[in-house]
Amino acid sequence: MATDLKGVIQEKYGEAARRAAAGAARTGCCGTGCGCDDPITTNLYGADDTAALPAQAIAASLGCGNPTALIDLAPGQVVLDLGSGGGIDVLLSARRVGPHGKVYGLDMTDDMLTLARGNQRRAGVANVEFLEGEIEHIPLPDASVDVIISNCVINLSADKARVLREAFRVLRPGGRFAVSDIVVRGEIPAQVRRSLELWVGCVAGALHEDEYTRLLEAAGFSGVTVEPWRVYRANDARQFLTDAGLDVDALAPEVDGKVASAFIRATKG
Amino acid sequence: MAIDPELLEILACPNCKTKVDLVKNGTALKCGQCRRVYPIKDDIPVMLIDEATIEP
Repeated sequence: MATDLKGVIQEKYGEAARRAAAGAARTGCCGTGCGCDDPITTNLYGADDTAALPAQAIAASLGCGNPTALIDLAPGQVVLDLGSGGGIDVLLSARRVGPHGKVYGLDMTDDMLTLARGNQRRAGVANVEFLEGEIEHIPLPDASVDVIISNCVINLSADKARVLREAFRVLRPGGRFAVSDIVVRGEIPAQVRRSLELWVGCVAGALHEDEYTRLLEAAGFSGVTVEPWRVYRANDARQFLTDAGLDVDALAPEVDGKVASAFIRATKG
Repeated sequence: MAIDPELLEILACPNCKTKVDLVKNGTALKCGQCRRVYPIKDDIPVMLIDEATIEP
């Protein structure tokens, strides 16, 4: 069992990839494994999107939004997906940028890359490349990408400021950052935060929405917006908190509405 | 299947951010600056600084 954060993530997402490859049903982004209907990861993609995709790509989707719906992609653009997982967002983007565009999927988990490559073959998409690497050290040159997308991944990084600086570096002037991620809103007492972390793994590393904005601006981005689109209510966590022996009604005011999936957008220059 | 020429053109060393070149009969990529060698496994370039070897 890995103890460092990177190792834990590789193990957890590697296992998720193998399950998806084997045709198992999806668990949450946040991988609680509780078997309950995770409000964060369900029903993110429209039927039009998923109809043309391999079932394994959908099964491996562990995101918290649909970043490809966030932004208009134009034919010929170069797109980079940070933490591409099973490849669902890469494959959807590839259709939008067309044969003269290109989509790069960057991931550090072997099993996810294998799954993504298989999904690419099944989908018959050519204008896609998967790369093994870390989002803190992007293996692309400066000013080489038009759009950066990412789906519930940046919260997992131990060095988010570096991820955002790297994103800024590889974007061309005028390039756009359009990401779905988990954010924390308002104040959460430390003890409550720990209970929430048990519920959704993602919350452990989630940035406060104001901090996200600050880090993006510090990296050089302008026009930053953080738009929560699915806010989690105390009721979403009711079953879990009850099972954990916690008093949901007492906790409700502290928990309610404090965690959200958000669309985060910014522009380079 | 060899690595796509267009991909080779754009790939950069994650450490130096400079261009990498194909070495070892097309099975690895090398950075001329920090001399790190990144393997290519199953046609996927493994651009991990920790897994690279530094070669003369």
